[in-house]
Amino acid sequence: MVNFKINGRSVTAERGDTIINVARREDIYIPTMCYIEKTSPCASCRLCSVEVEGHDGFVLSCNTPPTEGIHVITDSESLKTERTNIMRMYDVNHPLECGVCDKSGECDLQNKTLEFNVGQQYFSAKDQPRKIENWGLINYDPSLCILCEKCTHVCNEVIGDDALDLLFGGYNSKVIPKNAETLDCTFCGECIAVCPVGALVSSDFQYSANAWELSKIPATCAHCSAGCALEYEVKHAGIDSPGEESIYRVSNNFEYATLCGAGRFGFDFANRASKDEAAFDAALSALQNAEAIRFSSVISNEETMILNGLKAKLGLKLFNEDARHMQTFMNAYANVSGKRHYSATLETLKASDGIIIIGSRIATDNPGVRYATTTAARHNGAKVVYMHPLEDALLQNTVTQFIKYEVGTEEGVLALLAQTLLVGKELTQREQAFFDGLDEGYLNAETNVGDDELALLVKQFMRSKSKTLVVGSDLLAHARAENIAHLVAMIEKYSDFTVLVVPTEVNTLGVSLIADLDIDVASKNVVGYNAKGSFVISALGDGNLNVPALNQQEGTVVSIDKRLLPTNVALSFDGYTLNDLANALGVYAKNTIDYTAALPVESGFQAVEFDSLENFYSAKGADIRGYTLNEVTAKRGGHPEDVDELPEFNGAVIYHVNPVLQFNAFTAKTVQLEKDNNLYGSASFAAAARLGDGDAVAFEYAGETVRRIFKLDDTLKGTVALHPTFDLGLNVTSGYRFEHVNFYERE
Amino acid sequence: MMSLKEFENRNVSEGAYYKVDIPDYPETGWEKAKQVFSRAIKGELFVGLYIVMREMIKFDIHTVQYPKEKLPIGPRYRAVHEMQRLWESGTERCIGCGLCEKICISDCIRMDTKIDEQSRKQVTEYTINLGRCIFCGYCAEVCPELAIVHGGRYENTSEQRAHYIGYEDMLTPFDMAVKGQVAEYPGFGAITPHEDERVKSTPLAY
Repeated sequence: MVNFKINGRSVTAERGDTIINVARREDIYIPTMCYIEKTSPCASCRLCSVEVEGHDGFVLSCNTPPTEGIHVITDSESLKTERTNIMRMYDVNHPLECGVCDKSGECDLQNKTLEFNVGQQYFSAKDQPRKIENWGLINYDPSLCILCEKCTHVCNEVIGDDALDLLFGGYNSKVIPKNAETLDCTFCGECIAVCPVGALVSSDFQYSANAWELSKIPATCAHCSAGCALEYEVKHAGIDSPGEESIYRVSNNFEYATLCGAGRFGFDFANRASKDEAAFDAALSALQNAEAIRFSSVISNEETMILNGLKAKLGLKLFNEDARHMQTFMNAYANVSGKRHYSATLETLKASDGIIIIGSRIATDNPGVRYATTTAARHNGAKVVYMHPLEDALLQNTVTQFIKYEVGTEEGVLALLAQTLLVGKELTQREQAFFDGLDEGYLNAETNVGDDELALLVKQFMRSKSKTLVVGSDLLAHARAENIAHLVAMIEKYSDFTVLVVPTEVNTLGVSLIADLDIDVASKNVVGYNAKGSFVISALGDGNLNVPALNQQEGTVVSIDKRLLPTNVALSFDGYTLNDLANALGVYAKNTIDYTAALPVESGFQAVEFDSLENFYSAKGADIRGYTLNEVTAKRGGHPEDVDELPEFNGAVIYHVNPVLQFNAFTAKTVQLEKDNNLYGSASFAAAARLGDGDAVAFEYAGETVRRIFKLDDTLKGTVALHPTFDLGLNVTSGYRFEHVNFYERE
Repeated sequence: MMSLKEFENRNVSEGAYYKVDIPDYPETGWEKAKQVFSRAIKGELFVGLYIVMREMIKFDIHTVQYPKEKLPIGPRYRAVHEMQRLWESGTERCIGCGLCEKICISDCIRMDTKIDEQSRKQVTEYTINLGRCIFCGYCAEVCPELAIVHGGRYENTSEQRAHYIGYEDMLTPFDMAVKGQVAEYPGFGAITPHEDERVKSTPLAY
C-alpha cells in the first residue's frame, strides 16, 4: 500500500499498481494511445506522461509505480504542449482516408487528434511507398499504422502465438510477421480488436460496413466452454436481399477480455428457416413415439429444461454422453471434495503462478484456458507443466515442462501425480492405504512418467503460491473417470492446488447440472436434437425440422467459470423452436426464457429472470455478465479405488481432436474459418500404419466410414495421429478421444 | 448590393407603401347608372380583345412549350440527384464513405460496399428511394467528395417505382467525363467559391 496524491487528491496504490492504474480507478483522466489494461505497458506513445512535483521532466504513468508521498500532476500547460506535439507527430502523413477507413470514427487517433486540436500538419517527412499486406483473415496497411505495439503485446503476452514483431527502422518501421514470410498464427484476430487505427483489419469485413450502421448485440460465444463475451454486429444483408439481416463482424471488449478466432470469424452459423407445418407435425409424432431424445451440449440451459420437461411428460429417456461424462466425473469429484463445483476459474488461472494441464489438447480444445495460461506465464512467470501423450507446438512458448504419458494410462498418471503432490499431507487411513498400495514400478513403466520428471515438477512449483490443476476432457470421458475424479478431488482437497475442469462443449457444464440423463443405448427410435437420431431436429439446417442456432435465440449457458451467461438474438429465426414443440406436447411456457428463473437451485443456479441478467464489462473492467453459480456442498464419502490395470494402445492410434478454430459442426458451417480435415501424423505413425504422405485412407468412426487424406506433420512425434471431427456433422461420438484404428482401404 | 445593415432592417413598410387611386363607390341611383353607362359605352371588353390580337400578329409569344421547352432552373435547385465523376480520369467520385446514408433523414439511401482488387473501397450498389426522398439536400451537403449532388431533373413520374432512379442513371456518363465536357458542378452540394483561401498548406521540406 502506497499513499500518494494525484492532482491534490489523496489516493492509495495496491501492490503492482502503476500511476495510471490508480488514476483510472479514481476516475482521473490521463490520455493514452498505446495503453491496454491486459498486457504489460507498451510505453510507446508517451502520451500518458505526467509530472511529479519536485522532479524535473516527465514520468510515464503507464509503467511507473508510485512511491510514498509523491504528488502527481496529470494536467498542466507543459504536459498539454508535450501531448499536443506528440499528436502532431502522429498525424504526420497519416493518410486522410478517414472517410473510407474501417474504423469509421471508432478511432483513437481521430479522437486524440480532435482532443488536442491538431487541425493541420505542422511537420513534414517524405513519405515512402508502403505495401498493403494480405495475411489471410487479416489485412495490414502500414501507412495507417501508428506503431503503438498493442498488437505485438497481446499476441505475445495474452494469446501466446508470438507471431507479430515490430521491424524497427525509424520512419520505415512497421509490424511484420515474426520470423516468417507471411503471418502464420492461430488467427485469433485479437490484433485486429486492439488496433487503435484501421491498420489491422479483418479482410472479410474490410470496407463492407460502417461502424455506425451496425447494431451491436451482446451475446456469449457459442463455440466452446470458455463462454467469452462478444458482440454480434448486425446490419441489413444488402440492397439485393431486402428485409434480411446478417452479421458483419464480431467485436469484443478487448481491454479486459479476449476472444479466439472461432468467436471472431466464425459467426455465420445461423439457421435460416420458415415455419414448416408438415415437419412440425412430423416432429410432434416422432417425439410422442420416441424412446429417447439424444442431444448435444451445444444447447442453452432453457432448452435443456424443456427436454427435462418432455422427459417427465412423455416418459422418454435423455441421451447426452458428453454431459453424462461430466456429470459422472463431477459427482465422483464432489464425493471426495464435498463441493459440487470445482474451485478454479479462468480469472484465478490467470492469477496463478503454477499450472498443470492434463488430459487436454488445450490450445484447440479451449482457447480461453490457453490465453489465461499464457497470461499467467508472461505476467506472473507461472511454471506450466503440460501432461499429455502428444506435445503441442502451440504451447511451446508457454510450457516449462512437458510430461508425456502413454495413451490410456491417465488413471495411473493421476495416481502418481496425486502421490507426488500429496507427500506429507494428512490423509485419511483409507487414502493413505491407497497410496501405500500403489505399484509405482508398474505405474512408472506403463505410464512412461518417470520419478525424475515428477521430481522436476515438484521443484518447479517450489516457489509457486497459487497453483491450478487444469483437467481436460480426456479424463472426463475415460473409462476410469470416477476414480480419476476422486484423485483430482483429493489434490484439490489436500494440496494448495485449485482445480479447473474443462467442459468439452459450450454448455456441457450447464447440461450436466440440469439434465436428468440416461446412459445412451443404441435404441432405434431416437429423436436427435442437434444429434444423431431417426428423426433429427437440427439447428444446422440438415435435419427433419429446423430450429434456431445459438446466435438466434435468447437463453443462457454455463461457462467454464461456473458462470451463467446470457446470450441474445443476433439474427431472427422464423421457424419453430423447441418451445413450440413442447407447448404442443403440453409442456407449457410462453417463452423459452421463462425457464431461466426455474433452473435448479440445488445445482447452484439462482432464481433470476432472464431479463434481469446483465451482459457487459464495466468501464473499469468488472465482469458484469450473468451470475456465478452458488457453491453447493455435497455429501462426502468417496475414496480412491485401486488403480485398474492400465490399458495399452499399441500400433496406429488416432486422437479425435479438432484443428485450431474448429470445434463442431457449427464452426464447420462458417465461411471464414479454415476447414482442414486431413489426418495428420508423424513419420513414426506413418511407419506404424504403413501410410505415406498424401495417401487416402478410410476407417470406421462412430459407426460410419470416414475418408481422409493422410498428411505427414513434422511437428508431431509418436504413433498418434490427429483426426479432426468437426466436419462430420452430427456423426460424432463423445467417448474417449484416443482410438485404435484399422485403415481398411489404401489407395 | 445590399449591405448587412440594410439587410437587418426588418421595418419594410417605411416609405415603401403608396395609395392606389380608386374612385369612391357609387351611392345614389344616378351615380350607379352613370357607372354602368360609362363602362358599357367605353368598350373595355374590346381593349383586352385588341391586345390579344395585336400580340398574335406580332408572334411575340411568352408561353413555355412544356414539355418540349423547359425553363432554366437555379443552380441551387434541389431536384433528382446526380453522381459525379472526376474530370479527365472519369473515375467515380463516390468513395463509399456512407455519410449520405447516415445523414439521410428519410432513410432512403442505401449502399453496398466491398474491398476491390486494389484494396480500395468500392461501391457495388447504390440506391435512393425517390418515393421517400424529401429532397432536403443533406446528402449533397455532407458529401466530402462532391460526388452526390442535386441535379436539375425535376420530373418524377413513372409507371413503376423502380424507374424512379438507378445508379447508372444518376452517374454522369463516362465519355462526357473523360472528354472534359462536364463543367465543375456549381449547383447544390458544391463547395463555396472562396474555399481555396481556407485551405491550410502542409509544410514540405523536400
